[in-house]
Amino acid sequence: MTDHIRNFCIIAHVDHGKSTLADRLLQVTGTISDRDMTEQVLDTMDLEREKGVTIKASAVRMNYHAADGRDYELNLIDTPGHVDFGYEVSRALNACEGAVLVVDATQGIEAQTLANLYQALSADLEIIPVINKIDLPSARPDEVAEDIAALIGGNAAEVIRISAKSGLNVEQVLEAVVRKVPPPSGEDQKPARALVFDSHYDSYKGVVCYVRVIEGTLSANETIRLMATGVEVKPIEVGIFAPTMKPVSRLKAGEVGYVATGLKTVHDARVGDTITQANAPAAEPLPGYFHPKPMVFAGIYPVDAEDYSDLRESLEKLQLNDASLTYEPETSQAIGFGFRAGFLGLFHMEIIQERIEREYDLDVLFTAPSVEYEVGMSTGETLRIDSPAQLPDESKVTEIREPWMNIEIITPTDFYGTIMDLVIKRRGTFKSQEYPAPHRVQLNFEIPLAELIVDFFDELKSRTKGYASLDYQFLAYRADALQKLEILVNGEPVDALAAIVHEKDAYHKGQALITKLKDLIPRQLFDVAIQASSGGRIISRANVKAMRKDVLAKCYGGDISRKKKLLEKQKKGKRRMKMVGNVEIPQEAFMAVLKLGAD
Amino acid sequence: MDVPYAVYLHIPFCRHRCAYCDFNTYAGQEDSLSSYVQALCNEIQAVGAGVSLPVRVGSIFFGGGTPSLLTSAHFRDIFQSLYRAFEILPDAEISMEANPGTVTLAALEQLRALGMNRLSFGVQSANPNELRLLERIHDYSDVVNAVLWARRAGFDNLNLDLMYGLPEQTLADWQKTVNLVTGLDPQHFSAYALTLEHGTPFGRWASRGLMPTPDPDLAAEMAEWVRDFWAEQGYEHYEISNWAKINDGFKMQNEKFDSSFRIYYSAFVCRHNLQYWRNLPYFGLGAGAHGYAGGVRYSNVLRIKTYIERVRAGGAAVRWPLTAAAVNQIPIHRETEMDETMMTGLRLVQEGVADAAFTARFGVSLREMYGREIDELLGFGLVEWKTSGDSGVLRLTRRGWLLGNQVFMRFLRGY
Ligand SMILES: Nc1nc2c(ncn2[C@@H]2O[C@H](COP(=O)(O)OP(=O)(O)OP(=O)(O)O)[C@@H](O)[C@H]2O)c(=O)[nH]1
Ligand code: SF4
Ligand SMILES: [Mg+2]
Repeated sequence: MTDHIRNFCIIAHVDHGKSTLADRLLQVTGTISDRDMTEQVLDTMDLEREKGVTIKASAVRMNYHAADGRDYELNLIDTPGHVDFGYEVSRALNACEGAVLVVDATQGIEAQTLANLYQALSADLEIIPVINKIDLPSARPDEVAEDIAALIGGNAAEVIRISAKSGLNVEQVLEAVVRKVPPPSGEDQKPARALVFDSHYDSYKGVVCYVRVIEGTLSANETIRLMATGVEVKPIEVGIFAPTMKPVSRLKAGEVGYVATGLKTVHDARVGDTITQANAPAAEPLPGYFHPKPMVFAGIYPVDAEDYSDLRESLEKLQLNDASLTYEPETSQAIGFGFRAGFLGLFHMEIIQERIEREYDLDVLFTAPSVEYEVGMSTGETLRIDSPAQLPDESKVTEIREPWMNIEIITPTDFYGTIMDLVIKRRGTFKSQEYPAPHRVQLNFEIPLAELIVDFFDELKSRTKGYASLDYQFLAYRADALQKLEILVNGEPVDALAAIVHEKDAYHKGQALITKLKDLIPRQLFDVAIQASSGGRIISRANVKAMRKDVLAKCYGGDISRKKKLLEKQKKGKRRMKMVGNVEIPQEAFMAVLKLGAD
Repeated sequence: MDVPYAVYLHIPFCRHRCAYCDFNTYAGQEDSLSSYVQALCNEIQAVGAGVSLPVRVGSIFFGGGTPSLLTSAHFRDIFQSLYRAFEILPDAEISMEANPGTVTLAALEQLRALGMNRLSFGVQSANPNELRLLERIHDYSDVVNAVLWARRAGFDNLNLDLMYGLPEQTLADWQKTVNLVTGLDPQHFSAYALTLEHGTPFGRWASRGLMPTPDPDLAAEMAEWVRDFWAEQGYEHYEISNWAKINDGFKMQNEKFDSSFRIYYSAFVCRHNLQYWRNLPYFGLGAGAHGYAGGVRYSNVLRIKTYIERVRAGGAAVRWPLTAAAVNQIPIHRETEMDETMMTGLRLVQEGVADAAFTARFGVSLREMYGREIDELLGFGLVEWKTSGDSGVLRLTRRGWLLGNQVFMRFLRGY
């Protein structure tokens, strides 16, 4: 009895309007009253709301009375569009039978439009293409419709054209979902198998698993088993998102909902696992899906060493909601005890940094992100390192291999030249080009990941006025002439400032880095000498002269409070800097190496 | 036993706003002058009426804005209120800030007759281009006249305010200004480095790149040069930005906290400002004025019209000495008072903070309270211990006086 159920997700490139469309759908179906409506309601994290970007997928159940006179239960999963969170999309897809593909009428098809579309097709989902933002004067709906039709087949005239902002034509989206997306096919009678496609941590309910019941049923009265870990537990409750968590007595085959497990660690309830009933278990788990592998790594250090254990606690808690975050303890000779953490990408890293600072009120320092290298040793061993500081003495190293990526850049044809130029500068090579749609060219390259994480994306956007977009996948490890670039502060090497660079870039990057650091390191009470060295030579040096004057002038009319406030502000700024020896180094200095690509 | 209070009166009127100024002052509101003075008199009365015992006052300071925009009739009214409300000590220092472009011999004579005994002229520079850039309303000849008139009117305690570290100012430009003004032989100098304040034309011009930002190293050179120069000329450097002409030693009252510690100063140190730096109480009267008394720091509402209205409406005062004009108040607890005593006291480059005085005031020694901070600063060579009488005195070193923030900051523990 699942005829009345439709499970679908909304997929799109970043900012094409998924969350806004979800808002309208919630309103049209009366799931949220107009009074309770805020923008992008499903983006519940502070950070999501502030950045206007979805970070986590979220699920919600809506009841809809369709034009055919019947009542439907619609389970909607909103997904993030940013490339870093592609894995969130892939999980959501496994819980659905259909996908609404949203394309911005002003931007057209972009890289994650394609990437997400291909994923949805390979998961066998029914695609409902929708063109959004037709209210904007720069909208080109006809052109975009043609492109979409070329991409997925079908008739350009049939593509639904909406404004998620004004609500124009969004009912048509619901009608199409009801008509075109097949109902889930699972049977209630079989042993239970439910796919965990996401989870979050709740201090009362423990790990809350977001599930799609494929077969059988789940209820709060029966002990469940997590098939991968073998953990058995009696759930605190099962329920649906309507749109906030609402307990129900039973989740049936085909339904989407949650299981509040009461478990205290996410390791026991992994995303991708299958939940079954302990007393009547299924024979086989569902095919799990890939666990995202971190791509970039960075050191996280408390600015004040006393915050170390608070930092560890915050990472533990963040991991509860974000299984893609990895971390382990790391010690830096220069800056003390911290953690080495792995992220899906730079955006993911930025999000984590902001969450630590905001949700846990900690001042932390992130070192420049690095990729994971393979180091061939003269002993024949291979070492995997994810931090320049771990690179062994050069005499013992025979070869350094770095990760290379396939990248696809989708762009209007005009920017061909400037994109080529950018990629070549970053050690990339051109492979091929395709025309996925009449107004779009797709350029395929290979490029070292290390070059990609050095503001490649910003540079691409600025060279193409924001029109080009990119997607990437891991290709292979390849050897190259790589070497360590070290920074010395007052004669002492600072491991946290080191970088691994290509031999031919070492000189130029060393100089550029010293120039940047000279501006970024504030003047101290003594002279600070900074030097860059690589391949055993000092490449560049500069001196940050001791400050000579730092004193507030007039104590105006006895306004001591104002003076004091200024001093307190100054002191706070000082506290946010990291002591390296006796030199205060601000956060930006540790990231300076990332900004060298542009020069 | 009690230390006498100081009284600050704010006169927030200026003919034209200088391009660097972010003080609470207003141009083009002279219409309100008389009602403002009326309100000020009422506020004085309210403070006086708030206590039964006579309140002794050792210094009075008219600041601004431009107090010299008031007429002598205005001053007569204010003095009358002050004498009615407080017990003004016979040797009280009564100062006024004056814009050299707004004074006349006759007006200065009347002020002197009313009991004003110290004048502080905002000179800033002797260089016509700099004065124009700063948008001062006077030129240097106005300054010369103002000083001559003040002397003729019987003022023998004059301060000249100067600014250095101006955009495009060279060391030679600064030396020329200093040479000229020192020739006028005033009793006191204040020299402040320009700070570019947010929300002023200077702040905007600098951030848009229309005006060069002054080089802090050059400003440091100017400061060091002027300190040596004035030392040769017989001026005593007693506070970070203040110098007083040396004459016969003059014993300052410091007995309240420690009778064993005395410091001998020139007679021309500004006693009103000493009150701030020693972290002793003062009343703040007028729009936007700040006060510190009765264990609270407080400040009045900024705008002239609102100030007048609030004082006129009167109403129950929250706590003495706050009046109906007060809009902010922060109680100062013992810990905060200690920190603030360090922050202000260390500005006095000779006097510093005496351990005996600190211990007498707070019952705990400097070492006990700030051992770690003091050691760190000693290590940087920013402060030093010196013996004076039988007390150790902590004070800024020669290197420390231009790096004062680095010192003060460390004594603020964030209560
Ligand atoms: N004019 C107009 N603006 C829209 C429309 N739909 C969405 N927007 C705006 O587009 C921006 C992005 O919308 P979101 O709904 O957050 O986009 P998203 O696809 O969920 O973005 P990510 O979650 O970051 O991938 C917001 O500023 C919306 O207000 C529309 O129909 N018309
Ligand atoms: S005269 Fe003084 S208070 Fe008035 S605007 Fe100029 S600097 Fe500011
Ligand atoms: Mg979104």
